[in-house]
Amino acid sequence: MDILISSLFAGLLIGMVLALVALGLNIIFGVMEIVNFAHGEFLMVGMYTGLFTAQATGMEPLLTLPVAAVVGFLLGIICYYGFIKFLIRGPMVAQLLGTFGLMLFLRNIALLIFGSEDRALHHGILVDKSFDMGMGVIVPATKLTAAGLSVVAFVAVWLLMNRTKIGKALTATALNAQGARYMGIPTERMNALAWGIGGGSVTIAGALIVNFWSVNPFMGLLFTMIAFAIVALGGFGSVPGAFFAGLVVGLITEIPGIWDFFTYTFNFDWMNNVPMTSLKYMWVYLAYFVIVVVRPRGLFGWKQ
Amino acid sequence: METIKNALDFSDSPRIDLTIAGLVALFLLVFPIFPHSAFAMATMIQFLMFSLYGMGWNTIGGYGGQVDLGKAQYVGIGAYTTAVMLIRWDVPFWISMPIGMCFAVIWSFIIGYPLFRLKGHYFAIATIATTLVLKDIFEVWDFVGAARGLEISPIKYIPPDFLRLIFKQDVYYYYVILGFFFLGILYVNWFRRSRLGFQLRSIKDNEDVAQSLGINVHWAKVKTYAIATAFVSLVGSFHACYIKNIEPEDTMSLDLSILIALMAMLGGAGSLWGPIIGAGILIPCKSYLKEWLGAQVGLVGIDLIIYAGIIMVISAFEPRGIWGIVEKVRRRKRS
Repeated sequence: MDILISSLFAGLLIGMVLALVALGLNIIFGVMEIVNFAHGEFLMVGMYTGLFTAQATGMEPLLTLPVAAVVGFLLGIICYYGFIKFLIRGPMVAQLLGTFGLMLFLRNIALLIFGSEDRALHHGILVDKSFDMGMGVIVPATKLTAAGLSVVAFVAVWLLMNRTKIGKALTATALNAQGARYMGIPTERMNALAWGIGGGSVTIAGALIVNFWSVNPFMGLLFTMIAFAIVALGGFGSVPGAFFAGLVVGLITEIPGIWDFFTYTFNFDWMNNVPMTSLKYMWVYLAYFVIVVVRPRGLFGWKQ
Repeated sequence: METIKNALDFSDSPRIDLTIAGLVALFLLVFPIFPHSAFAMATMIQFLMFSLYGMGWNTIGGYGGQVDLGKAQYVGIGAYTTAVMLIRWDVPFWISMPIGMCFAVIWSFIIGYPLFRLKGHYFAIATIATTLVLKDIFEVWDFVGAARGLEISPIKYIPPDFLRLIFKQDVYYYYVILGFFFLGILYVNWFRRSRLGFQLRSIKDNEDVAQSLGINVHWAKVKTYAIATAFVSLVGSFHACYIKNIEPEDTMSLDLSILIALMAMLGGAGSLWGPIIGAGILIPCKSYLKEWLGAQVGLVGIDLIIYAGIIMVISAFEPRGIWGIVEKVRRRKRS
């Protein structure tokens, strides 16, 4: 029983972080209908930023979050003005391939600078501490903090989108760019801002994830696909949808743990032989496929 | 008979195009006679293979306008069918290749039928998702060698083995793939003026109008997807015999899917010569960059950075491809 509960709990915790990862993609897609393949690479940049800032200055890893946010914001803005601005004039196939090129570019720059080995953080107040949640569930402090701070960041972005003038301008641009332009909203700058917020939120997630996950240049694609699944499930363009979908996808990534629980409970031999851990992420891709086929709008989506 | 005549009818291309195409064809035919390095030969074979991939992609992605980023799964299906059948049951290439094609086409119907209800980005990402699902399954499936992949050992067969397509010299492979290449061009030339081809172009221009004209849009897309699949799976089977060592990572990766789409786009999607031009530029560029820069100590990945830069520049500034430029220049001349 405790295996089941701790899997579910771990799934929910990682789901909160993944929701923050997907949030940036969601905002960018919602505002300007472009799919950013480089999203996972933005996350990687955030992870490297967190890692190196913490290692170089000996700072507490959690204090690197603002640094990561600034780096991500600038990265988003630079990408927009330097590249995406030209890309959105072209047909859809060019947009898809163009952001894929951006992904390859960032990935290989990381490979060139940092090398291909896995790197991880080993210091900070959170390392090697864990909480006993009762019922046999033990949660590492790093994951718990990451999940908590993700929710905080998520709520902050949600407030920004819904309670401020800038957020309203962003929403207006998303709904009808031409109409927004007539109302005096600088849509060009709003697009750039969407990229900035998207990049900033995902690098914060990266700086949180690096506390319990090692980083290498090739990890981006996995997170890009997970983020796509979350955005598709929650509905393209919906911020609360992204949160709930994040939790669901977090649970999906814990399917191997749940499978283990059933294996022990019912003691079926054939269940032991299924290499569930290697298929961990297949369920996410499969879920994405099923979601877009069955309900392309997602759970909370308003964009068809 | 009519079909063959139509396939050989290139009369709607300007004469200058046909002259250039004829010269290129002649060059391709006599290329192995000239002295060349083994590396140049490998690059030429890659070029022909990727032209065929691109032609396959072009039917659905170019003429049909459906951005498909999941072609690699069919490369994998073709390659694995041929390799498994050759290793386990000693089935020759010429039998296993059509069987692999059948598998790929069946799979394309299974996933294509629900997929083509989607449009735009949703379709593109869903094709990626199916590829990744298939790749994950192949990576744990022991029957096909799991993540280690399969290796066809050439020692068992006496080269040149024309039935199993096991050769020592690359020149045999070159002529086999060159034959497929010419057949592929003829097929696409027939296809673009067939009933389905016209239906597809009208779907690309305006789906609702096409529907109102009585075209079964969904079925036309699924059929074309199957055609594209057959092309890709054929080259996948060839890939298995040529490379002799296949892994899920290099036959089914997203990079391969993207490369296929990219070449067609670079050359000019939706034109007969586009994918060939794209492959002719990108493949030598990619493999020579890798040869010169990939092995430099301390510069790991620099070739891919340049390659990514090329992708970005093309998609931002010339998304209609080289054929688009040619047509623009011609239109300007005429007016």
